[in-house]
Amino acid sequence: MISVIETVGRSALNSSRSFRQTATFTARILLRLFALRTYNSASRTVFINQFYFTAVQILPLFLIVAVIFGSLVNGMAFQAIKDLGLSDYLGRLLMGFVVTEVSPFVTVLLIALRSSSAINAEIAVMKVNHELYTLESFGIDTLDYLFVPRILSGMLTMVFLSSLFALVVLAVGLLVSSVIFGTGVDAYLDTLLRSASVLDMILVLLKSATFGFFITLIPIGQGLNASEDLTSVPVAVLNGMVKVFLAIVIIEVLSSVVRFI
Amino acid sequence: MSQRIEFKVGLFITITTVLIMASIGYVFYQKGIFARVHTYTLSSKTGETLAEGMPVVYGGFTIGRVSSLELDEHGTVLIRFKIPERYNRVVRADSTFILEKPLIGSPRIVVTTVNLTGPPLSPAAVPEITVSSDINEIIKRAQPIVDKADRIMGSVAQITENLADPQGEMRRILRDAQKVTSRLSKQESLLEMAVGDPHSVRAIHETLGKLRDIATRADTLLVAAETLTGRTGEQIYGQDGVLPLVRAILHDLQGKLAKLNVALDNINRISGDVAGSTRDLQVLRSELDAVIIAVGDLVAEVDRKIPFKDKPEIKLP
Repeated sequence: MISVIETVGRSALNSSRSFRQTATFTARILLRLFALRTYNSASRTVFINQFYFTAVQILPLFLIVAVIFGSLVNGMAFQAIKDLGLSDYLGRLLMGFVVTEVSPFVTVLLIALRSSSAINAEIAVMKVNHELYTLESFGIDTLDYLFVPRILSGMLTMVFLSSLFALVVLAVGLLVSSVIFGTGVDAYLDTLLRSASVLDMILVLLKSATFGFFITLIPIGQGLNASEDLTSVPVAVLNGMVKVFLAIVIIEVLSSVVRFI
Repeated sequence: MSQRIEFKVGLFITITTVLIMASIGYVFYQKGIFARVHTYTLSSKTGETLAEGMPVVYGGFTIGRVSSLELDEHGTVLIRFKIPERYNRVVRADSTFILEKPLIGSPRIVVTTVNLTGPPLSPAAVPEITVSSDINEIIKRAQPIVDKADRIMGSVAQITENLADPQGEMRRILRDAQKVTSRLSKQESLLEMAVGDPHSVRAIHETLGKLRDIATRADTLLVAAETLTGRTGEQIYGQDGVLPLVRAILHDLQGKLAKLNVALDNINRISGDVAGSTRDLQVLRSELDAVIIAVGDLVAEVDRKIPFKDKPEIKLP
């Protein structure tokens, strides 16, 4: 009985410690993000490289996924609303569900699977190899040089790619809509515009940026938690990815709460 | 290598940014975010169902939204709404503003303008909004239907009550129908079925037998009268003699029997028309009564004029 209570207590303490560490780390990163001295030529190079690996390299695969996903979702959804006689809700479905919910979610999953795990492993290996200590011993601020450019890159990548995903899905939606409903370009755009909300668009961009922030911050934080053993690298990646997934769910729920309540 | 990466990243950021900005700019432009906006004020006695952001609709198109709600010092609700420049032409001085509360969907303010070339609505003017509630309208229209349905349900309840009551009208009708069908299933005569009483049928048959007897007796009487030819003189052939009287009575009897035949034929067709047959039965009964009375009178008259005694005395001329 006592051991059970001890386990519960230990778990609670660990969670609280982890939350506190994440919150502290988040606060430090946010402060650096808005500090002008963070942005120098070195951090700019890191940012460009990270952005290239995260956003540009994935682009062909991402566009193919967007087209396939857009065709499938639009095809099924349009056919369903046609069968149900709810064609008036076409715009609301596209703008209220596909653009504001599906696009950021699919994008964040792709980026998390591909880049978050890579960042997590990279930082953990740097920690194991004492590269971080070496950088600090040369007076290089790892926050400015390693972490902030990656997090900024993650935020911008999410904003750009989720917007691109939405645009591709809407373009595919035009094709599917013209095939299923025989809708013209003007009628389709009018339908979208009627359902488009400026507030929703701003919220989507903010949500995407928040996703980008946490799916890079959490892997970096978990990578820093790795010990000096190489065996701690996969553990750090595993913990990091689980927390990234939890963060995605929490942000999705919070954004829905903000949007609908 | 580094320059290639920089170029690719720069190209991606530029193209994507242009696409995003163009999309957002297009939506903003179409939504009239950058357009000049006109603000108008409406008044309402109540602020119920009114909300900021409520759409202002003209001809099914959203032309603006409620921007603010305010309660003035007189307790009147002031509704301020904004209309972009391009839709401002539909808001005229003679426009009417109706707050629609549909059964399904959100409330909205509907603008109706008859004369689009009329003078524009002054921003200082505060027209009153008219409230139209679909729910109340539907309730008002449905009330008479509900009342009718209520009455129908009352009648249905009464009918079912009657059906459930063993002594009720419906049960009685069903019992009678059962009797009729059971009688029909038996091979009784239609006359008995119609009369409903075997004794009455027998009585009719007996009457008909008696009629036949009377006719026979009348024939006998005529024969007897003929034997008296030349002997009875005025008593037999005179105006008040037996024979003219007997002939007249027999003619009457013949006519009535002919009518009786018609009535009996109608009884045979009773299965076709129960109501008509019932009427025929009544005729039959009345005709039979008349025949019996007439024949009785005949017999009495004949008895009076020709007393049939064991030893009749006939006065010769």
